[in-house]
Amino acid sequence: MEQNNQLLTVSPSPHLHSPVGTASIMGDVLIALTPALIWACYVFGMRALYLTLISVASCVLFELLYEKLLRKPVTVGDLSAAVTGVLIAFNLPVTVPIWLPVAGGFFAIVIAKQLFGGIGKNIVNPALAARVFLFSWPVDMTTFTTPVRDRFHSLFIKQDLDALATATPLSYLKEGKLPSEVQGGYQTIDLFIGNVPGVIGEVSALLLLIGFAYLCVRRVTTWHIPVAYIGTVALLTLVFAKGASVSFMLNELFAGGLFLGALFMANDYATSPVTPNGRVIYGIGCGLITVFLRYFGASAEGVSYAILIMNLLVYYIDRFTKPVRFGGKKHEKQ
Amino acid sequence: MDEYKNTRRSQIRRMPAPERVMIPLSQHIGAPCTPCVAPGDTVTRGQVIGRTEGLGCPVHSSVSGVVREIAERHDARGRAVQTVCIDNDGHNTLCPDLAPYEGLLCEADPDRMIELIREAGIVGMGGAGFPAYAKISSARGKAELLIVNCAECEPFITANHRLLLENPASVINGAKILLKALGVTRGVLAVEDNKLDAANKLEQLLDGDQLLRVRVLKTKYPQGDERQLIYVLTGKQLPVGKLPADAGCVIFNAETCASVYQAFAHGMPVVERTVTVDGDCIANPKNVLVPIGTPIRDLIEFCGGYRAQPKKLLNGGPMMGQALHDPDSPVTKTTSAVLAFSEKFSPAPKEDYRCIRCGKCVQACPMHLMPIYLSQYLRAGNLEACLQYGANSCIECGCCTYICPGRVPIVQHIRVAKGKLREQKMAAEAAARRSEKEGKNGAK
Repeated sequence: MEQNNQLLTVSPSPHLHSPVGTASIMGDVLIALTPALIWACYVFGMRALYLTLISVASCVLFELLYEKLLRKPVTVGDLSAAVTGVLIAFNLPVTVPIWLPVAGGFFAIVIAKQLFGGIGKNIVNPALAARVFLFSWPVDMTTFTTPVRDRFHSLFIKQDLDALATATPLSYLKEGKLPSEVQGGYQTIDLFIGNVPGVIGEVSALLLLIGFAYLCVRRVTTWHIPVAYIGTVALLTLVFAKGASVSFMLNELFAGGLFLGALFMANDYATSPVTPNGRVIYGIGCGLITVFLRYFGASAEGVSYAILIMNLLVYYIDRFTKPVRFGGKKHEKQ
Repeated sequence: MDEYKNTRRSQIRRMPAPERVMIPLSQHIGAPCTPCVAPGDTVTRGQVIGRTEGLGCPVHSSVSGVVREIAERHDARGRAVQTVCIDNDGHNTLCPDLAPYEGLLCEADPDRMIELIREAGIVGMGGAGFPAYAKISSARGKAELLIVNCAECEPFITANHRLLLENPASVINGAKILLKALGVTRGVLAVEDNKLDAANKLEQLLDGDQLLRVRVLKTKYPQGDERQLIYVLTGKQLPVGKLPADAGCVIFNAETCASVYQAFAHGMPVVERTVTVDGDCIANPKNVLVPIGTPIRDLIEFCGGYRAQPKKLLNGGPMMGQALHDPDSPVTKTTSAVLAFSEKFSPAPKEDYRCIRCGKCVQACPMHLMPIYLSQYLRAGNLEACLQYGANSCIECGCCTYICPGRVPIVQHIRVAKGKLREQKMAAEAAARRSEKEGKNGAK
């Protein structure tokens, strides 16, 4: 019995734990974003990857620095800063100067996330907050390039890309024109696959959907927010279509950042409701505001602002949709 | 969740009584027993060694031998409890007073039956330890359905499964005795669908029985929780603060039924029980019929000792069982499993936990609570909000904590909240009583 003298751990139950942790979840999100990143490299050139890596590195570094300086436990291992980094890059045009994602990383990690208490405590989505902050450089943020493949040479040289500046499909839709009817002639299928100008990560609805499906299979996320969000936008743009209703609706869905926003940003854990009903309400809210901004706002886009506005209401949505507890209300009457 | 029912094919082995047993005088919910033997006394197997007048039932010796001492010892839950230590003489002499119930069951007087069940020391053997006689008395006239809980939803534990396979008749007959004592004419044996072999065996034995039926339930933790059972079997959601009898149900664990049968058929009180011994540190995991009071150290020796040095030793299942600090704690009437885990298998709680607001706890909660907010409100010191968010409805099943990617000890936070709410309520009641008293005195 001598061998048994080692001390035993006494801790409260449960004594088993699911192997899924924060880092594995964030790792799954990174995996899910990879198809869209590969596509971006294909249509916009390797500069897309280059900007993404800079963005990820600056987010991770700022988190590390902040936590080291304030002597807090270091949390970069949970990979959430890396996810934020990818999402910031995904929200940038491929022609931005390389210091822009660094500035975005600083704003996202230090201002939007850490000053509010770090992971899980931030009120607004850090990547979206960074995007809105970066609109301080409007020219850089709104210069989009036409997709031209095999631009491996453009890794460091953005001048080549600047020459290809063009308007996005969304700006045509704002004017009530279908992108297929104007110069460039982007068909709906081009928008779905991602053969259009736009920011790095938003262009391919298809590949974003594939990534999202992976997250659903891995049970990282649920369908509620994206379905409610995209469904609301679909319904509104169908009813209030400018022109041929179905193709207008489809163009509205696949153009701009709706899929990136609905599939990967609106359902960010920290800044979305925790109840299933709350997630549906939140998704509908995002959809309403998105369409409102796209129709009446100053810019052609509405997704970022819509999500940021709904972020602010999350706590109230949670409270409002508190589930009826087991044996509650209707069962008490029996 | 993985089920880890590794011992499902391991036949129940009877463990020879150890050299010394330590029998706690409180193995049930209610008043602890006072010893009715003294050091130096000779006792026999099945002899009463402690009694209580309040809620609770007698405790019996599981061996024959000599009482060495009666002292306070830690039980498996970590409470200091008066414990009778008996040196086993190895003769296994049976107590001469034990006698089977004679007479026809159909003519039996329920009050006498209830008394007999009390005398046999039968308590809820699923883990709660509520005295069976008290449950029967309070459910009589209210309950219409007897539920025999054979769900055994905790991972690892297969003791009930083996009991149902190896001695299904004892469970069925015990259930029938309980039906008679309760004055109920309908009973359900609720089995999870990971034990279909046991369900089939019960079906065969029942063979269209009028009183008892088998219901196969989905395997899903915490299916064996009283409220979940009542809900799947009757569609009724039992509100907070209500007892199963309020929904017309009364629930007994399978092994409790078998103990009732032992008491009636052989006059044998609860002196042993089936325990699953498993975990990655046990050399030969198996199901064991263990004399009550056997030190867990001896039980593990019987299972070949440790394969590797354990970091955690559990009394009960991994989801709701208690971590032991002392391997010399005894097996009691409510020990359904003894599990020994390595650090790798059952990591210690993380101090640097972080909620990422994923909402998985909300989806996992069988009581439809919002564990995330309960945990946060407790840490913010807002007990009022904990109450509003239903802290008292928590059944402490641990699902929220199992699933939490940020490794927040959510269920422990809720337990603390419940404890504080209880204290608050008691303080408020005491204050009300005091002011009432003062009011009366003032009137005089």
